[in-house]
Amino acid sequence: MASKIIDLDHVCLLAALRLTEKEKEELAPQLEKIVEWVRQIAQVDLSPTEEAAYPAVDFPAPMRADVVQSSFGVEEALSNAPERDKEFFKVPQVIEGKE
Amino acid sequence: MIPDSAVRLAHLIRTGELRAQEVVEYFLHRIKEKDEQLRAFITVCEKEALAQAQALDKGAPARQGLLAGVPVAVKDNIVTRGIRTTCASRILENFYPPYEATVVEKLKRAGAIIIGKTNLDEFAMGSSTENSAFFPTRNPWNLDCVPGGSSGGSAAAVAAGEVPLALGSDTGGSVRQPAAFCGLVGLKPTYGRVSRYGLVAFASSLDQIGPLTRSVEDCALLTQVIAGQDHRDSTTAAQPVPDYLTELAQPLTSLRIGLISGELLEGIDPEVGTAFERIINYLEKEGAQFEEIEFSSWKIALPCYYVIAPSEASSNLARYDGVRYGFRDQKVNQLRAMYEKTRTKGFGPEVKRRIILGTFALSAGYYEAYYGQATRARHLIAREFSSALKKVDFILTPTTPEPAFRFGAKADPLAMYLSDIFTVTANLAGVPAISIPVGMTKEGLPIGLQIIGDFFQESQLFRLAFLLEKKVEFRKEYNKII
Repeated sequence: MASKIIDLDHVCLLAALRLTEKEKEELAPQLEKIVEWVRQIAQVDLSPTEEAAYPAVDFPAPMRADVVQSSFGVEEALSNAPERDKEFFKVPQVIEGKE
Repeated sequence: MIPDSAVRLAHLIRTGELRAQEVVEYFLHRIKEKDEQLRAFITVCEKEALAQAQALDKGAPARQGLLAGVPVAVKDNIVTRGIRTTCASRILENFYPPYEATVVEKLKRAGAIIIGKTNLDEFAMGSSTENSAFFPTRNPWNLDCVPGGSSGGSAAAVAAGEVPLALGSDTGGSVRQPAAFCGLVGLKPTYGRVSRYGLVAFASSLDQIGPLTRSVEDCALLTQVIAGQDHRDSTTAAQPVPDYLTELAQPLTSLRIGLISGELLEGIDPEVGTAFERIINYLEKEGAQFEEIEFSSWKIALPCYYVIAPSEASSNLARYDGVRYGFRDQKVNQLRAMYEKTRTKGFGPEVKRRIILGTFALSAGYYEAYYGQATRARHLIAREFSSALKKVDFILTPTTPEPAFRFGAKADPLAMYLSDIFTVTANLAGVPAISIPVGMTKEGLPIGLQIIGDFFQESQLFRLAFLLEKKVEFRKEYNKII
């Protein structure tokens, strides 16, 4: 069953995921059900509220002084790189052409 | 004899009655004995732990610390310098962090010994540890049941006596629910109480690191060590950290308790309901005043959470692209295809489901209807909490609607999500909440009680938890786990 609410191909493109047809078939009804379920939020009157992206912790969290501090060295930063070239992360061809 | 209390262990090591090395060796032996069956650990740091213990025994300054020589297990989504940190995901299977989480630094400074990294649902997404990309963890009370999740490895390890203390992380109940399933004390601190620096981000506005322990005292001690402002996490609060352990024993001056309406408690397991009522009756005898709290928003808390958490996750997990660290699919020679194949092969089904859900909720045309609405609902939840906590000191609920379930029992993702019904509200509002064991089912599975308090009132939570702990006397039950 293809999802009526979610355009899976479009969302996968945005999320940089590539699903097989089988995976899509399995996922579509699950997502449909979850999205239907989350829609119950609309049943409650939210008109007197504002958007709250973070908890309203009412305590000071002052910024630290803007002082330069040491960070990772190049070798440390590259230590987990799947592929490197000298001091750089190496990636496959960026400009799309023949794969 | 090695005691299972961290408070006692640290004392014996500080006074020289026990050596850190023998303590570490004892717990490493326990792990060898038990973990083949339980599978609580992804990595056991035998060499590092013994080296740390030997340094303490030679008189390293941390030997006078609050956690001198006490082994601690750390959930594998908290980074440890040079020790593999996987998030139970293929995408980070061989990731060796070049830095240390603040909580781990603090643990080491207090003399604690990191004994290993524990299993979890991949990227902390799940309530059973079944979503680990490597293997599920079993519940030590009944090996056919899940230990809960996502901090299931940490909970199973402490319950089985493989380690006296563990750290988990709680985004929607991931410390409290496994604490309930494994018969432990588990705290989700106030948002901003504990630094998230080095906690691999799932949903940054909800995540908090919290302790899993066998006693309220140990929970207070571990919280004491990890709490406090951190300049590397700008969401930590500049609130002084009280001496939780000393404050614990002080009497409660006020005991006004809020209960949520019966409608929300419908459908909970009868044995969970009975254990809950028993506590209420006891508190009534202790002079507590009760008030039913009107929470119109509680019923939309779960759907609200399942928009906000996946939305933040979809953004946080965008960093796994196969470029700087983690797995890369080497078979493709173009960048975009490499991103897609890396992520598709690297993430498991639940993580993909949430990334897709979150990407959808944030996408053009849907943002206002889903993410926007959910953040408004969150505002309402926070407001209802704040007005409730003006009238009462605590809000009590069961931690979970049912005790630990069997493997495979919640194959439908939505059914799994419903396990978090009582826990997610505290994350959305940012307030602290603790789960403590208050009984056993006839089948021998633990039952948890949740106590929610006001911002930065962890001390109050510990006091009430301590009072109930003395009444319930759950500790003897651990002898049933051999």
